Parts: sequence; C-alpha cells; structure tokens
Amino acid sequence: MREKFWRDLLPIAELEQNDVTPAKYGTLDLAVYDTTDGIFVSLAKCSHQGANLCHGYFDGKYIECPLHQGLFDARTGEPKASPATRKLIMLESRIHKGVIQIFR
Amino acid sequence: MGDEILTPITQAMKEGVLTRKELKALMTRSNKQGLLHLLLFFCCYCFTGFLIWLSLGSPWVLPAMFLHGVILVHHFSLQHECCHYTPFKTRWLNEIIGHYCGFVLLIPNKFFRYEHCNHHTYTQILGKDPELIELPISFWKYLWYVSSIPYWQSKFGELFRHAIGRISEEEKEFLPPEEYSAVIREARLYTLGYFIIFMLSWLTGWWGVIWFWVLPVFLGEPVMRAIRMAEHVGRPNITDMKENTRSSMVSLPMRFLCWNMNYHAEHHYASSVPFHALPKLHEKLEGYVHVERRGYWGAHLDIITQITGTKPRSDVGVS
Repeated sequence: MREKFWRDLLPIAELEQNDVTPAKYGTLDLAVYDTTDGIFVSLAKCSHQGANLCHGYFDGKYIECPLHQGLFDARTGEPKASPATRKLIMLESRIHKGVIQIFR
Repeated sequence: MGDEILTPITQAMKEGVLTRKELKALMTRSNKQGLLHLLLFFCCYCFTGFLIWLSLGSPWVLPAMFLHGVILVHHFSLQHECCHYTPFKTRWLNEIIGHYCGFVLLIPNKFFRYEHCNHHTYTQILGKDPELIELPISFWKYLWYVSSIPYWQSKFGELFRHAIGRISEEEKEFLPPEEYSAVIREARLYTLGYFIIFMLSWLTGWWGVIWFWVLPVFLGEPVMRAIRMAEHVGRPNITDMKENTRSSMVSLPMRFLCWNMNYHAEHHYASSVPFHALPKLHEKLEGYVHVERRGYWGAHLDIITQITGTKPRSDVGVS
C-alpha cells in the first residue's frame, strides 16, 4: 500500500470565508468547507448523482447539492436529507503554516 | 455512484455567463421573503374565498370558484419551491409547507420530491423524465390534457396505488427501495386526512370543503396544466438546457402567483436559487436561455402551431 503524507492543498488565504471552496489535487476535485467547527475536506462529487457540491448552498455546517438539494453534514460527510443516502468521501485535513493540507 | 455530470450551472460558469461570487449571492436564503410572500398569497385566497361566500346561491358562484381555484392551484408553485428547499431558510419550514401544499392538491410531498429530482436530471428526455408532458399529436389531445381529466386520473391512481402498498415499475426508476415504505406511509396519511375531513363534513353537515376547496381546485387545475405545459412542451427533447426549457415573460400578478416560476429555464440552471432571486438570475442569463417574450399565450401559440403543422414539431426525429 502507498505510504500517506500530508500534502499541500490550498493556502488558507485563498479559502472562501464561511463557505465551500473548490480545490484540485492531481485529478481529484475537492471541496474545502470552512465550517463553524473548522476546516473539512471531501471529494467535490455528490454521492447521489455526481453534481459538484462546490456550487451548492452551504450554511456553515451542511452542504446542499446544487442539483437535487440533497443534504450532507460537511464535517462528517453523513447524508442528512433525501435524495442523499450515501456518505461523502472525506479526506483527513489540517492547517500547517498557513496552508490547508490533506493526508493522502 | 454515477459518473460526474455536467450540471447546467457548472456549464454556465464554465462558459463565463455567471461568476461563482454572483451565484453564491443569488443563493442567499431568507425566511422573511418567503413568509411575506406566503402571507400575501394567503390574503389572496382568503379574498377569493370571501367572494365565493358572497356569491353562494347565485350564478356568480361559478366564476368566484374558478378565480379561487386559480389561486389554490398555485399552491403547486410553492410546493415546487419547497421541494427545492429554497423559499424558506429554515429547512423544516420547507418540509411542513410543502406537505400542506401537497395535501391541498393531492400531491404527496415526499413522492413528488423524488419524482422531481429525476425531472431535473433528465429534463425533457423521453422515457426518463417522469414529469415530461409530450407534445400532443392533435388539437383534441391538447384540449384533453388541458381539461385536467388525464391528470386527475393519474393523481388519484397514484395515491390509491401507494396507499395499497404498490410502487409501479416507472416509479422504481426514481425511488430508492429504502424509501418505498415512507412513500406508502405518506399516501396512507394523506388518504386518512382526506377521509377525516370528509367524515367531519358529513357528520356536521357543513360542506364548505366542496365549495371552497374541492370544486375550485378542479375548476382551476386547467390553468395550472396550461402553465405547466408552457415550461417544456414544444421545446426539443434534448439534454441541452439552453433549448429544452422555456421561460415566459408574464405580468406581475402572475409572477406573484407562480412564485416567479415563469423564469423556468433560469430555475433549471440553478435550482438552489430561491424564487425571489430568479428575476436577477434572469438578467444574468439574458440571451443564454430560451425566453418566450409573449408570455404563456405565446408559449401556447408556439405549441398549437406545432400541433397544427404550421411550424415543425420539436419532437421530430426523437425516438
């Protein structure tokens, strides 16, 4: 299995305050959430039908899919309202020297 | 998990029609805007209800019931907004008011929400869009659809089928199996609600529900069918959102009644944008989406000219 490292994703200065920010790591499209409980990162793809969650409505805790308004907890990835039924794929993250990093 | 899909809003942003900042500003939710609109809407149907009361026993009761019905059937516009969770910032308010509207119009809210999700995914695609209204093959078929008879047959059949615990093969396309029981429970609760109301009417001998609710809804529904037709019928059965949906420029009272859903193409572009921001989204998408400047009448003229052969049919070449 490939060894995992902390990898730079986005300078904290580029984060959209209290909102969700799109970010790219290699070929992966990621969503970086500035939640009331800190920074969290998930794959940007909705687990229902693949719409980009970065274009959805975010209230500081929950992210809503822009296509069908399914709801997820941005801190855990748990689906909270239909038609979302599957968890989002979350990535471990941290802030290090002003940069948001993901463990990958 | 499905493949990543290019949603209309992703496409619009890629093509530079709208910036991310503009989209985020348009998506701002507000309880105040929704509740104020709801209050005015409520005043409208109290007023038309009062007109029915004034005209009971006279021939004027029929036009009064029709007018009241036109207002009542616009509960659908609010229910539709609620199923996108946009009219109210508080999510549970959208659920409760969505169910209230659904109860008024025999449209169980949870079931409608799932059906409507697939309408947004497969807009205008034959065999995949569960809300697709086909371009009628003749003028008589057009009138038959507008009469609402086939619509009510379908609605009553749907409620009965779910209440007896059955889900059709078509419905299985958009309903996840884990939600079958919730949809069946919902249909049973709605049926029980109707049963209680009619039993109370029978026991008390007060049949206001017929004069102020049931008959007006039946009389008004053809107007809602005509409005629903204006949204997609006569537009091509293709995936391109620039072409498959029609926005109609209508008067202020109509915009108020339909909660700005005349900006239908804009709504399909960004269904997370609440009704009160749709006129602004319309300005942003000017020239990018299909707009019928002559309003609903123009949309129906377009549909009728396609039916009568004056204009090529939009569904030619689509299997």
